[in-house]
Amino acid sequence: MLKPYVCVACEKVVIAKEGDVPSLIGLISKITLTVPAETEIPRNGVAPKEWTVFSIWDSEPGDEQKEYVLCTQIVYPDKTQFGQIAKLKIPIEPKKRSQMLIQINGFPIGQPGPHTVRSWVEEKEQLVVGPLEFKIELEIIRDAAAKTGPSA
Amino acid sequence: MKYRCPVCMFASLPYPPSNYHICPCCSTEFGNDDADFSHQQLREMWVANGANWFFGNAPEHWNPWMQLIRAGLDVPRPFTSFRFDNTAIVEHQKIRLLAQEYELCPAA
Repeated sequence: MLKPYVCVACEKVVIAKEGDVPSLIGLISKITLTVPAETEIPRNGVAPKEWTVFSIWDSEPGDEQKEYVLCTQIVYPDKTQFGQIAKLKIPIEPKKRSQMLIQINGFPIGQPGPHTVRSWVEEKEQLVVGPLEFKIELEIIRDAAAKTGPSA
Repeated sequence: MKYRCPVCMFASLPYPPSNYHICPCCSTEFGNDDADFSHQQLREMWVANGANWFFGNAPEHWNPWMQLIRAGLDVPRPFTSFRFDNTAIVEHQKIRLLAQEYELCPAA
């Protein structure tokens, strides 16, 4: 059975060419958004900012014969789901950890409050590990002096 | 085979974007609407009107902004700054290994 070694959200992951050693840049626990006082953010608004849910999994003998799938879900403060559930097959080799990178190219900004990042492992569409959860807080600051940024 | 709408970037058109087919996402009628406006102009109009789904129910958890971002296009940024912050309390301790024991040292 797989066991989680690490599961975090960060701005960027750098994987060394030699040895596939990962370095995590900017672990995320909170996002602060400054918005002009009069600006309405649509409920489904997204900031075009790339971030990554990075996880490492320990396997045990026999796991290499199994087809594990890592599922990652982002949940709004009102408990509804943002986007699709990301599903990625976990490659397993004997005596090796499995490093998984889920790159997400936008962050939901329509609702202030705690956003939940939920990861779990399925085998044959059945939950076998998790879910692991952590929160990312979105704070929206209304700034009377600020002007709206560039648009599409 | 699926086709991508060149206006809103919806990637699951069941038919090519031509011959008066209509995109269920942004409502562009190809051969008609895009005869008068460029795809970018049509996209800007769709975005300015809220980037809403046009025909029937949108696919589950569909998000117009992610659809545009995934296609490499920019989206409205109703904010002046976006900052990753840290809410953690930071404590730092060095552990120096001596012959047979651990000695806790204050952080430098």
